Amino acid sequence: MKLLDEFHGIRDDPYTYGKKLKAERNRKIIGYFCSYTPEEIIYAAGIHPMRLFGAQGEITLADTHFQAYCCSLVRGALEGALKGKLNFLDGTVFPHTCDSIQRLSDVWRLNTSFGFFADVVLPVKLNSESARRYMTDVLSKFRNNLEKGFGRRIEDQHLRKAIDTYNHIRTYLEQIYSLHSENPHIISGSDVYAIVRASMIMDRDDLLDKLPAVVEGIKRGDTDADNGTKKRILLVGGICNHPDVYRILEKSGGSVIWDDLCTGSRYFSGIIDNSGDPVESLANRYMERPVCPAKHLSVKSRGEHLVNLVKEKEADGVIFLLLKFCDPHAFDYPHMKEYCNRQGIPCMVLEIEDRLPTEGQLLTRFETFMHML
Amino acid sequence: MYFAGIDIGSITSKAAILKDGRVIGVRVIFTGYNAELAGWNVYRELLGELGLVASDVDKIVSTGYGRNSLSFVDKAVTEIICHGTGAHYLYPHVRSIIDVGGQDSKAMVLDEGGRVKDFAMNDKCAAGTGRFLEVMARALEVDLDAFGDISLKAEKAAKISSICTVFAESEVISLISKGEQRESIIAGIHESVASRISALAMRIGVREPVMMTGGVAKNRGVVKALEKKLRMTIEVSEYAQTNGAVGAAVLAMKL
Repeated sequence: MKLLDEFHGIRDDPYTYGKKLKAERNRKIIGYFCSYTPEEIIYAAGIHPMRLFGAQGEITLADTHFQAYCCSLVRGALEGALKGKLNFLDGTVFPHTCDSIQRLSDVWRLNTSFGFFADVVLPVKLNSESARRYMTDVLSKFRNNLEKGFGRRIEDQHLRKAIDTYNHIRTYLEQIYSLHSENPHIISGSDVYAIVRASMIMDRDDLLDKLPAVVEGIKRGDTDADNGTKKRILLVGGICNHPDVYRILEKSGGSVIWDDLCTGSRYFSGIIDNSGDPVESLANRYMERPVCPAKHLSVKSRGEHLVNLVKEKEADGVIFLLLKFCDPHAFDYPHMKEYCNRQGIPCMVLEIEDRLPTEGQLLTRFETFMHML
Repeated sequence: MYFAGIDIGSITSKAAILKDGRVIGVRVIFTGYNAELAGWNVYRELLGELGLVASDVDKIVSTGYGRNSLSFVDKAVTEIICHGTGAHYLYPHVRSIIDVGGQDSKAMVLDEGGRVKDFAMNDKCAAGTGRFLEVMARALEVDLDAFGDISLKAEKAAKISSICTVFAESEVISLISKGEQRESIIAGIHESVASRISALAMRIGVREPVMMTGGVAKNRGVVKALEKKLRMTIEVSEYAQTNGAVGAAVLAMKL
């Protein structure tokens, strides 16, 4: 489908998109790293929220600030900033999640000058009423910071419109996932990946204009995917920066039919009730959305969510995508694997850095796993 | 009925032929730079040795890193599956397999039916592989085939702490210049390899009976060091190096 070329292009080269957005439309742009960023508030301020995924290529400048045990997202992001590739940004926001992101925030504040800077110190335990109130306060404070930083008012009506826009975007993204899950031959995994990925980069109004046509195109069968039998795979982890994972997996006889990724379903899960106070509504989504291992909902919540996803999406197996040096996910993995073992769900772990292992290595593992299913 | 398996590894290529379910011949050659040619050559040589021609063979399965480069085979299957299948076919009691080849090491756990239940594979470095041993053999000017027997004569094992192959080689060189006995250096090298492999095997819950396959299984020193680390008895397949090719031939029989 022709329309998808644009999504692939933006996914391939987000920085050029950012630069164009700045140059041609004079947009203010705020960079962010994680799906706990309250994008709706940024959007409501008339600012473009653009997700940063770390750099591709050599990491050299960042290594004077970070030890090798920081993940490639953190080191790569700083590398991009220090090399001047992010000069189109007007600011950055850091929600409180893992240790490395917090340290990135410190190093970033001291070594870059993008203007606006905010730490959004979210609660870690999300299972109490006081945490809900605290979450609401933190988001209100972020709203005030943005207002002061950019000298503009964010009215409740702006927030409601933002929530509405995001609800629509999230609904479309979930719909695309569902179409693919119902029929993995209708669209390739890397196309789905490109759509969701570009959705975190593109101007959200442009995106919302285009998504209905994408959904229609998929339904009509304008997209191609190969027709072989595919094992249904659930991909689980933090971020996935590797479109090749989808292609190589499909070559091995599998297809990612759903995921529990920060750059995937966790990004679009949770439709917000837009009737009450908008900031409270935003807080509620974070309190109820499936958590990442840097947050706590209950001892069982992540494991049960995984098992439920496997059942609901009729997955044949689970692949854990573990970004090397990602502590929260690495500590979480044995616990999640236990859930799989107890339920007899076949799983494998793939540890990756900013670059994938060689294709031959990866094929051997994927093919073996498909053979096991 | 003849069935063949061809395993193209990073260092050597292996072929095995089964007749009526029995292994009647195996062959090993160096792979060199052309995987396809190596696969064809080892197969052709084995056919010749057995007095067979290509048309005698019913089905062929290829495996190993070069598995997809052969156009004349019926199917390509990963070496993890083939090592599991081969070991289970010849030794049905085995539940865990540790396969250490030229450029990688793998551990797998099998169920009663010989199916792979879980596996792990080293992927980032040469520590714990045949290549590591090759580099050390060169530094010590000892024939790699003699490594096992020499290390068994050692009274103690020298300590080698680097995991990185290049740094470990410098460590070995400084041990040599300090006058450390060759036997204990080699024993130390084997312990280092065994540490890497045992960590991999324990990660997937290795359990007895354990069998070691792959070229490195021919080295008795590594097997002994690994037994000590895992506190388990390790059986070595009669077809250690050619087990993957045997497994591929077994799968060919089932096609």
